[in-house]
Amino acid sequence: MKTANKVYTWLVFIFLYMPIAVLIFYSFNASNSTSAFSGFSLYWYKELFSDSATLTALKNTLILAILSSVIATVIGTLAAAGIYKMKNKYVKSGIMAVTNIPMMNPEIVTGISMMLLFVFVGGLVHSSSTLGFGTLLIAHITFNLPYVILSVLPKFKQMDKHLPEAALDLGCTPAQSFLKVELPNVMSGIVSGFIMAFTLSLDDFVISYFTIGSGFETLPIRIYSMTKKRVTPDMYALSALIFVTILILLILSNMTSDKERTRMSQKAKKRAKIAVSSVFGVIGVVTLIVLIASSGTKTLTLNVYNWGEYISDGSDDSLDVNAAFEEYYAQKYYEETGERVKVRVNYTTYASNEDLYAKLKSGANSYDVIVPSDYMIERFIKEGLIQPINLENVPNYQYIKDDFKHPFYDTGADGNTYSVMYTYGIVGIIYNTEKVDEEDIGGWDLLWNEKYKGQILQFNNPRDAFGTAMYSLGIDVNNATEEEWRMALDELRKQKPIVQSYVMDEVYNKMESGEAWIAAYYAGDCLSMIENNEALDFYYPQDEEGNYITNIFADAMCIPTSCANKELAEEYINFMLSEEPAIANAEYIYYASPNTLVTENAEYQDYLEDDYDVIYGTIPEEDLPELFDKYAFRNLPQDKLELENRLWEELKVDASSFDPSVYIVCAVMVAAVVGFGIFKYVQKRKRRKLYWNNNAKSPATA
Amino acid sequence: MNRKKIIELKNVAKSFDGEVVLDHINLDVYEKEFITLLGPSGCGKTTTLRIIAGFVTPDTGDVMFDGVKINDVPPYKRHVNTVFQKYALFPHLNVYENIAFALRLKKTSEEEIYKRVEEMLAMVNLAGFEKKDVNLLSGGQQQRVAIARALINNPRVLLLDEPLGALDLKLRKDMQNELKNIQRKTGITFIYVTHDQEEALSMSDTVVVMADGKIQQIGSPTDIYNEPENAFVADFIGESNILDGVMLDDYKARFSGHDFECLDKGFAKNEAVDVVVRPEDVDVVDPEKGMLKGVVDSVTFKGVHYEIIVTIDNFKWMIQSTDYVKPGQKIGIYIEPDAIHIMKKSEYSDMFGDYSSFSDELEHLSDATEEEE
Repeated sequence: MKTANKVYTWLVFIFLYMPIAVLIFYSFNASNSTSAFSGFSLYWYKELFSDSATLTALKNTLILAILSSVIATVIGTLAAAGIYKMKNKYVKSGIMAVTNIPMMNPEIVTGISMMLLFVFVGGLVHSSSTLGFGTLLIAHITFNLPYVILSVLPKFKQMDKHLPEAALDLGCTPAQSFLKVELPNVMSGIVSGFIMAFTLSLDDFVISYFTIGSGFETLPIRIYSMTKKRVTPDMYALSALIFVTILILLILSNMTSDKERTRMSQKAKKRAKIAVSSVFGVIGVVTLIVLIASSGTKTLTLNVYNWGEYISDGSDDSLDVNAAFEEYYAQKYYEETGERVKVRVNYTTYASNEDLYAKLKSGANSYDVIVPSDYMIERFIKEGLIQPINLENVPNYQYIKDDFKHPFYDTGADGNTYSVMYTYGIVGIIYNTEKVDEEDIGGWDLLWNEKYKGQILQFNNPRDAFGTAMYSLGIDVNNATEEEWRMALDELRKQKPIVQSYVMDEVYNKMESGEAWIAAYYAGDCLSMIENNEALDFYYPQDEEGNYITNIFADAMCIPTSCANKELAEEYINFMLSEEPAIANAEYIYYASPNTLVTENAEYQDYLEDDYDVIYGTIPEEDLPELFDKYAFRNLPQDKLELENRLWEELKVDASSFDPSVYIVCAVMVAAVVGFGIFKYVQKRKRRKLYWNNNAKSPATA
Repeated sequence: MNRKKIIELKNVAKSFDGEVVLDHINLDVYEKEFITLLGPSGCGKTTTLRIIAGFVTPDTGDVMFDGVKINDVPPYKRHVNTVFQKYALFPHLNVYENIAFALRLKKTSEEEIYKRVEEMLAMVNLAGFEKKDVNLLSGGQQQRVAIARALINNPRVLLLDEPLGALDLKLRKDMQNELKNIQRKTGITFIYVTHDQEEALSMSDTVVVMADGKIQQIGSPTDIYNEPENAFVADFIGESNILDGVMLDDYKARFSGHDFECLDKGFAKNEAVDVVVRPEDVDVVDPEKGMLKGVVDSVTFKGVHYEIIVTIDNFKWMIQSTDYVKPGQKIGIYIEPDAIHIMKKSEYSDMFGDYSSFSDELEHLSDATEEEE
């Protein structure tokens, strides 16, 4: 029995901590593969500390967590004291209910409602960019408050209620009594409330996502938005560090709890006190440094909103493009005006075009440069969310290949240019050469090949997934009729039984580890996978004549209408097109560049070697515009967008439907709980009845 | 008497949520006196104490200190200190700091604080306990710290709210003596709240018996015991046989169908009265020699004496005697005139019957610690 107990306990621990253990393990991996451990290394830790954007996000997160938790602790403690001293029971329980609601409320509701409130108030004072650090701080304080109150209030209740009276009796004024007697006695609750608030603030994503402004990024949001490329192992390193930090905080918080305190020796108590106060000390010093550092010379700020992992950021000895721009422009500004300024690029990231659209549309944020994809640019132009770029301020625009100067989404029909292409890419199929026969490759039909049942991955987003079906059926992706959409759906349904799963960046893991054999994905990403697993290979689906029949996409730099400093934004776009940054980006992102300074650069071509053909395709360059015309995704009319979403749901609903046994198990569980409740209730009633009957019979006691 | 009044309560009343807790009481407390508020749970004794301490404001009436009205003076400005029922020591401070608390507030010099704390510790026999954690002290030790903490301020009046309630019997007796000694040594007025009549009788100069928010009797312990004012006091203080009787004339009372000589006078002729006879004042004699005769119901050995329940004329008497009698035995009882105490009828007259339903356990239950107001 004893051993069984032990084994069970260990199993529970393993279940709880296995994922974190794996994460920590892989943070020491020498390579960036998640499937194979190729040796112990601190490489990713080194990498982490040279990634300035992540460090900035970390700094932001820490400052936010410190400020919000300290403020929430002060307010929450006072609130708990107030609630504790309330005389009216009904008011008291009412207030407690009100306090608890934000905690039970789904975070997403809290997040959205706060965003609405901030935007509404911002509208009242005619501010174009309400959301910012301030709103984020308010939101964090708000969701931290109930936790602080809930951890402090019980300490007040546990406190001998005569203590404040004893203090008054001995000569304390009520204020002195609060400071000298009540506070020290609820201190353990305050500390654990603070630590809880701190950790909650540290890892909050949902509420931050809705209330964050432009030019500010917290760590969870940064990690989330890295998904265009993939989460790099330096994030494992960071997560490991955060986990260890939180672990230490938790141990400290436990040490300060009363139970431990009475058990601890004086020495241990002293040590715990020193530890706690040193943590607070460090926190205080960091805050101070940040406050001092944030004051200084005139600063020109540029808010850039881009995909995650979509710029050369100084890691792997690459060029830190944003830092280079800051330096370059500060110098240029000085030469032109004789004034010293600080240039700051606030670089934040998003995960999808739809996220970007939501942020921009809400009107609460102000960005200066954004990098949407083709069809989204079309939509932005239509809705007036981006403005024409003054090409006179972007002389490097001349290096963009002519074919890409007026792509389908920005034809220049109204005489304006709204976008400057950043990268483009082609969707291809990656497959495992050891498992897939040579004769099966070449077209889209590989994704429907019954031979590879359970080994095929499909896109987990409607546009790309329906795209594969439409290309395969020869349907025009942009002008499909409802009937053709339904045909594509049928095709996807037909494919579903042989699909292993619908994925986005999980594709890396599954393909590199050999867990899946076939997937359609973006060329640049496929090359990264091949780098990690030699057995993988890649092709572009073609027809019999060798014409590409596949999606080609482009991302381009645009300036939103809410831009605060358009000239600076144009300076930035121009800088991105100049030789050194453009090559650094192209080498880092590994997508095709439309910039002749890049494609005609011999060193760059050497750098890519064979990958050049994969990235840029083997078709003649002059055919590219035609490919764009035929296969790029266009902004769909509203009715088709809705149809697409509806059909996608139809497909996915089946996908998420459970095995019938799951429903049965669920029903049995619910029935068991309800049955037990009824049994207990009946038992209780029987006992009570017996009790009353007996009491009625026996004579009343004096 | 030329004793000086230090605290006066004048017509003080207090209700909580419409329930009357104090019903217009008047009380004078004299300097250097050990006065005890005695009564069962909910009689208002703790509320009285809290009104004096300043934690409760009376609805009507005045609280006077040295002849000055202090109704609106907050607790921290009153020259009284309190020893709380559960001590209310500050758990975050050690023994030394707990005792030094009041002096620190007054910004007393460290040397002076040290001197005074050491004095106090010596007085309560806790020398050497300075650095101890108060949470790890025994109940008796905590009690002493609480007393030292309250006395270091040299209060004019010390209020003690059932301070010995949480201690075991032996310790309680020791602490009773110690408290009495401290009071004599310091000459501070003690106002002591308890529900334990024995404690009240053995320690106090003056006992105030309270019930239902009213003061039933104020007097010295002997007065209270020997000359109870009414059936409530007689029943609450010690054991009593309380019988319905009639005052035939001065010095002549009739109860249980027998005429008795007594020492009481001043009642109207044939006035209905309550008669109190203490169990230890009843002598057991042969049936033929007895003034009253009855049959023994039960006998319980109590150490010093036997407790005998006898039915006489449908009334169950309690008798305490050193002589053993058998249950079922027919006995007679003899009562000396000075053992009979006659009281006027009161609202409590019919509430205290004979010993027919008496049991030690029940008595014990009704003595349970007073609920906190």
